[in-house]
Amino acid sequence: MINGDIFFNLSVRSVRLNFLRSLLAAIGIVIGVVAISSMGMLGTNMQLEVKDQLSASANTIVISSDAARMGPPGFTPSSSSSSGITKKELTKITSAVGTNGTVIPIYSTDGEFTINSIAGRGSIYGIDSDDISKFLKLNQTYGNGTLDIGLNEVLVGSEIASEFNVKVGDRIRIGSFSSSSRPELHIAGVLTSRGTVADGVSTDSGIVVDSKWYTNQYGGEDEWSQVNVIVKNVDNITGTENLIDTKVNTNAKTPSVRITDATTQLETETSTLSTVTTFIMAIGGISLLVAAVSIFNVMMMSVSERIQEIGILLSIGTEKGEVRRMFLYEAFILGLLGAAIGGASSLLIGYTVVEAMIGTTSYFFEPASIMYVPAAMLIGIIVCVISGVYPAWRASNMDPIDALRSE
Amino acid sequence: MTDTPIIQLEDVTKTYHLESGDYTALHHVNLSIMENDFIAIMGPSGSGKSTMMNQLGILDVPTSGNLYIAGKNVAEMSPLERTHMRRDSIGYIFQKFYLIPLLSAYENVEYPLILKYKRRDTTGKASSLLEAVGIGKELSEHRPTQLSGGQQQRVAIARALVNDPKILLCDEPTGNLDSKTGYQIMDIICDLHTKGKTVIIVTHDEKIAEYANRQIRLVDGRIAES
Repeated sequence: MINGDIFFNLSVRSVRLNFLRSLLAAIGIVIGVVAISSMGMLGTNMQLEVKDQLSASANTIVISSDAARMGPPGFTPSSSSSSGITKKELTKITSAVGTNGTVIPIYSTDGEFTINSIAGRGSIYGIDSDDISKFLKLNQTYGNGTLDIGLNEVLVGSEIASEFNVKVGDRIRIGSFSSSSRPELHIAGVLTSRGTVADGVSTDSGIVVDSKWYTNQYGGEDEWSQVNVIVKNVDNITGTENLIDTKVNTNAKTPSVRITDATTQLETETSTLSTVTTFIMAIGGISLLVAAVSIFNVMMMSVSERIQEIGILLSIGTEKGEVRRMFLYEAFILGLLGAAIGGASSLLIGYTVVEAMIGTTSYFFEPASIMYVPAAMLIGIIVCVISGVYPAWRASNMDPIDALRSE
Repeated sequence: MTDTPIIQLEDVTKTYHLESGDYTALHHVNLSIMENDFIAIMGPSGSGKSTMMNQLGILDVPTSGNLYIAGKNVAEMSPLERTHMRRDSIGYIFQKFYLIPLLSAYENVEYPLILKYKRRDTTGKASSLLEAVGIGKELSEHRPTQLSGGQQQRVAIARALVNDPKILLCDEPTGNLDSKTGYQIMDIICDLHTKGKTVIIVTHDEKIAEYANRQIRLVDGRIAES
């Protein structure tokens, strides 16, 4: 029995009559929908994770000197300039920040080390032991450690701990493999994983030592690689940055330091990820173009096979628009079929891909991520309907006499 | 019944522009068909019978001359108006039945009603018409391919009547049927004429033509005998 629109009903029956052919045509749409939504979700999950990780240090201003000191081409640093932030600059920063935040000067370099006779390489940070607990946390699963490290103690990052099978209390030798002086220190604790951070202290594959030990080993006392300022009120972060800029960068043409925060890095990272995501989705979109050709072909076949039926419909008083609608419905049904299978597959495949590529699916069901499924389904349906426009137009404009004569 | 012809052809000519040159299928045809006429159009192959039926059924328009159906000049009607006139005022019965294969017998009969009223038939008109032509409820659920030729033609007659048209155009309605079934179908058509329909039938069969009260012979696109 006919329920609802008779033309929709006729289209459903036509698709059902040629189900295998329709299903094969719809597979193109399935692939397109899966490609677009999975890639979209992957990109968005990456962005959300980076955003979340960077937000953890949203209250931190990072002041560094390296890029600024290099200056534009042809710029020669003054003879007094060092490779890091100077004591004088630190004093100005401290003065500018005042009671609005905590100033943490940090030394850093790349270095070699050996743990349990296994050689490794990573970042080495020198931080006053009093400052460590202000932004780093301990992971107690490797043993009861402490952040309050002494001169001969270190903290290691979570990736190093995992890779070198570290336990609190193990020994570590730090220094160039070729050097004869490779002091031995104790691992006082393992730091929790920080992931992508905006404060420039990526400890996951790094080692934290006391700043005094650092300068004894590597020199460069009072020439910090960077100074982090943890502001008390994140809403005032721009104001504090402006104060520091005014006090330290007295020469506007050749600023002494570069001042950044999580917002700057977040913008850069999300912009890059967004571009990559769009590019990958566009590649996925190509499969939808191929699907469009396939749908067009199936629709043309459907029109060719039903010429006499079209002739009957037109001769007994069916309007051209109604014939057009019938074929557009058919394309819509193919799209809906492909989009439904594609949408369900996207959830499954997208979830697996996100799990495999990012390692977490905590952001998978966030609206920004899951919206790619209905969006890709909608695109798939629209592509199908557009593919059906010409066949539908052709069917509706047939001469009923010629169409009736067709066998 | 009025004295105004329900169909009037005034000097109607139909010329087809073919690659091999122009071909005129109807030459200056003049004909008046009154309401409740029963006319048989006869003639050999290529005489213009089908062209004449296409003109009367407004599936085509004359190249020159005027064709009036229910007082309206077909040439002055928009394509949509012609479509609506086909739907509402003319019932078609074809030699090859031309039922919609995707619909059941009942749905085929209901289809023109849905076209006209944009909704399902709740009046029971489709069912009663099917019963009137001898198609019971069980058969009405069948698809056209599951019905015999005679049954399909009965369904086609019910479909042609469902919008209560004044004109019935029958193109060789018994051509695909055995003689017994053919006469049964003709009895139904005669009965419809008795009930007031204007019937125009195209046939090769002299016996079928004898049912009509007026016979028109076409030869080379001209009316030879009326």
